[in-house]
Amino acid sequence: MEDYFSYTAKLFNPEEASQKPEALKGIRVMDFSHVIFGPIAARLLADYGAEVIKLELPFYGDLWRPATYWGKYWKHSNPIWHNITKNKYFLSVNLQLKESKELIYKMAENADVVIENFAPGTADAWGIGYEKISKINPNIIFLSCSTYGQFGPMRYFPGWDLLAQGASGVLTLNGYPDTDIYYKLPDYVGDFVPGNFAALAVLMALYYRKKTGKGQYIDMAQTEGLMRMLFNYTYHSVTKGAIGRTGNTDPTMVPASIFKTGDEKFLALACATADQFKNFAEAMGKPELASDPRFAGTLERLKPENAKALTALAVDWVRSKSCADIVKLADASGFPAAEVADDYMIANEEWRRKRGSVVLFKDDIYGNLAIAGPSAMLSGTPSRTKWLARPLGYHNRLVLKKFLGLSESDIEKLEKKKVIGTFDDRPGLKPPVYYNLSEDPIYNYGKEVKK
Amino acid sequence: MSPKEEVYTRHGGKGGDRGKILAEMMNAEGKAEVLDDILVLDVSSANFAGIIAASFLAEFGAEVVKIEPKEGDPARQITPFGVTVQGVGIPFMFEGRNKRYMTLDVKNNPDDRRIFAKLAKKAAVVIESFAPGEMDGWGIGYRQLSAENPGLIYIALSAYGQYTDQAKEFAKMPDADITSQAGSGLPAQMGAPPNEPEPYTWPLRGGMWAGWYISGLSAALGGTVALIHRQNTGQGQMVDVAGMDAYSSMVGMPATIGFTWEKARPRIGVLDFILYPYGHWKCKDGFVAIAAPRDHDFRALLKVLGLWEQEDDWRYSSDRIPDILEQAIHLHKIIEEKTLQFTGDELVRMALNYSKKSARSKWRGGGVPIVMKLMTPEEAMKNKQWHIRKAFQEVEDEKLGKYMISANFVKMSESPPRVKWVSSTIGKDNEYIREKYLND
Repeated sequence: MEDYFSYTAKLFNPEEASQKPEALKGIRVMDFSHVIFGPIAARLLADYGAEVIKLELPFYGDLWRPATYWGKYWKHSNPIWHNITKNKYFLSVNLQLKESKELIYKMAENADVVIENFAPGTADAWGIGYEKISKINPNIIFLSCSTYGQFGPMRYFPGWDLLAQGASGVLTLNGYPDTDIYYKLPDYVGDFVPGNFAALAVLMALYYRKKTGKGQYIDMAQTEGLMRMLFNYTYHSVTKGAIGRTGNTDPTMVPASIFKTGDEKFLALACATADQFKNFAEAMGKPELASDPRFAGTLERLKPENAKALTALAVDWVRSKSCADIVKLADASGFPAAEVADDYMIANEEWRRKRGSVVLFKDDIYGNLAIAGPSAMLSGTPSRTKWLARPLGYHNRLVLKKFLGLSESDIEKLEKKKVIGTFDDRPGLKPPVYYNLSEDPIYNYGKEVKK
Repeated sequence: MSPKEEVYTRHGGKGGDRGKILAEMMNAEGKAEVLDDILVLDVSSANFAGIIAASFLAEFGAEVVKIEPKEGDPARQITPFGVTVQGVGIPFMFEGRNKRYMTLDVKNNPDDRRIFAKLAKKAAVVIESFAPGEMDGWGIGYRQLSAENPGLIYIALSAYGQYTDQAKEFAKMPDADITSQAGSGLPAQMGAPPNEPEPYTWPLRGGMWAGWYISGLSAALGGTVALIHRQNTGQGQMVDVAGMDAYSSMVGMPATIGFTWEKARPRIGVLDFILYPYGHWKCKDGFVAIAAPRDHDFRALLKVLGLWEQEDDWRYSSDRIPDILEQAIHLHKIIEEKTLQFTGDELVRMALNYSKKSARSKWRGGGVPIVMKLMTPEEAMKNKQWHIRKAFQEVEDEKLGKYMISANFVKMSESPPRVKWVSSTIGKDNEYIREKYLND
C-alpha cells in the first residue's frame, strides 16, 4: 500500500487546488456589510466559489478600507483588508438615489444570499432589509449580523468586536489573577469567529434550501457566537464559582502553560491525558511522577495544589532545555508542545507555505502578498484565493454589464447621475500609483483597452 | 423596570414591533432541522476540536454518534481544576448536545474496527483526531472508507495536518488547545508592553479555548461546504484541520503583517493597533469598555467626559494611531482619571444621552461614543437581552442533573440550530445504534 503521506500529498496537492471544482459555484451573494464581521462571512463564501458582490458608497467606501495597523499602508492599500475582502466584486453605488435602489432590487431577483451588518433596523429603514428583499425574492437567504442581535432590549446598541468581548465575558478571562488588568483577545477575533459562525449558518440555509426550496432570515449576534465558546457558564451553574483569569495556565490540563526555555524562547506545553503525562514524565527523566498519587490520575493532577506543584517542576525543566529540544522530545514521546509563533515566523515558516496555510499569492494589480490560507483544507473543493481586494468601484462595469445586462451607455448615464462612482485619492480606496487603470480590461469591462 | 434596565431599553425610540415580530419569527419550536438525514461518527479522542465540530452538526439536526472505548474518551476528564459531576468534566457536559454514545475501541480492537467500518458505510461524516496515518494503518482511514462510501466526508484533526513533510515528521505530536493557540500566533499578540515586569510581558494565553473552538468551528464549516458539494454531486472528500493553523488562518493578520512588515508586532498591552480609544477603563465600580475610534466619536467622548480642552492637543487630535506608545498611554491615563469619577451605569448613560442628542441633530458629525460595562461570563448570564434571545438554556442530563449551557448561537427563521437534549453516559445508545444501523 502506498505510504499514507504520499497518498495525502496527492490528495491535497496545493498546486492543483485552483483546478478543482468549487462547492458554491453559481451562488450569488450581495454583500452590503462593512468592517470585518459581515465581510468575513461573505468572503468565506467567495473562497468556496460564490460570486460575492460587495456594495460600497462612492468616494467613501467601507470604513475599514483605510484602517491599517499603525497606519502603515502597502502599495496604497490596507494590507489586512486584502485578507478580509479578497475574491469579491467591488460595486460602488450611492444608496441615497432611487436609481441605485432599482439596481439593487434588480440584482436581488437573481441573488441567493444577502449579507448586511448595519445597526439593526437600518437596512429595513433604507428599503434594503429582509422585509423588502424577501418580497422581491421569497427564496432569499438573508443574513443580518449585529453585536447584540435583531431583537431584545439591547438591539439598537451599536457595537464592535470589543463590545461583544465585553458583553459575553470573554474579555474578563484574559490576564493574570489578582491583578487589575484584563486583555482583550487581539486582531478582532470577536469579529472573525462570529463571521465564521454566520457563514456556517448561511451554508446550512443553502443546504436546507436545496432540499426544500425555502429561503430564510438569519440573525447572527456576535456576542452569542462568542458565548457558544465558553463553558464557563456551565462551570458557574455547577459550582456557583467562576473560572476567572488563570494567566498563562490552562486550568483544564496539567501541566499546560506557556513557559520560558533555556534559550529565552517561549513555549507552550500541555498534557491533556494520563498517557500524555506519562510520556512527559519519561521525557523529563522522572518517570516516577507518573505513579505519584498526586499526579497519576488526571482529575487528581488537576486539583489546584497538585497542579501548582507539578507546574513548578515543569517550569524548572523547561528552563533547563532549549525550545527545539523540547519540541523534538515532545514529538518523539507523544505530548503536545509548540514554540510561541509570532507574525514573522508564521509568514515565513516553510511548512506553512507548503501546506497552503500561508500562500504567497501573485496578484495582477498588487504583485506578491503573503495571505493566510483557510483554517480547514478540503481535498475535493478547496478554498482558494483568486484575487486580492480591489479599489473602490473597480468592478462597476463588470457587475452591471455581466450580471445585470446593462450597456456602456446605460453605465455612462449612471455615472453622470452619480448613481455609481469610484475612489478618490485616499489610500485604501485607490489603486497603487504605479498601476494604470485605463489599461485594465476588468475595470473597463466591455470597453476597448489599449495596452 | 429598574433604572438599570431602563438604560438598556430606552435607546432607539420606535421599532418595538420589528423586535416582537422577529422574536416570534426566530422561535425554534417545531421548526425543521437541516441535517436530519445524515449520520455523523465522532471517533475523536482527547481532542475537543472534534467534539465541538460534532456538536455543531448535532445542533443542526444530524444524528451524531460519539464513539469511545469502554473507559470513555479521555476528553471527559479535561476540565477546569478537575471539577466533574460524577466523573464527567464541565467541557464534556457543555458539549454533550444531541449526541448518541456508543462504545467501540478502534485503537485496540480489530473487531470493533470492522463494526466501525460497517457504520461508516452509512455515514455522511466521520470525525477523528488520531495521529495522522493511524486510522489508515488500521484499515479505517479515508482511503479505505471512501472506497466503500465515495460520498463520505472525512474530517481529520491534528496538530500539523495530514500532508507535507512537517505533518509526517510531527505526526506523533498530539493537538491541545494551548499549543494550538501558541503555534498559530495568538499569545504572541497578548501581554504587557516591554517596559513592564516579567512575566506580564510574556506572550499570554487567551483565557478560553481559542485554539480548539476555532479548529472545531473550522472543521464544521469545511465539513458543511463538503456536505453541499455532496448534495450536488454525491461526492465526498477529506477535510484536514491543523491546530497550528487555527488562529492565524482565522484572522489572517499574522501572515500578511509578518510579510509586509518583515518583522513581528510587539505586544502593546491593553491598546489596539488600529483603533483608539478602543479598550476598557477602570471606573468607580468596575470596568467599562469604550469604543470611540472615529474622529467624531473621539470628540464626542471628550465632550461626554468633560475633556474638551484636550481637543486641540497635537498629540492625539489629528493622530491617535498608537504607534507612539507613550502618547497612547498618556491619553489612556487622561481618560482613566475621568472614568474613575463615575460608575459604569453613569458612564453608559452619559454616552447614550449624548448619542441620542447627536442622532437627532441635523449636524451629522456628532459621533457615537460607545460605552458598556465589562461583564464576567457569570454576570453576562443575568443579562435580560440573552434571556429574551434564549442564549442560555437549562438542560438536564438523566444522570448528572440540571445545568446551564449557552445555546441557540444563531437565530434562523426556518431551520435553526437547537439543543434537544444533553447526555454523557458511556455506551448509552449501543443498542439503538445496533438496531438502526447494524442489523443488515
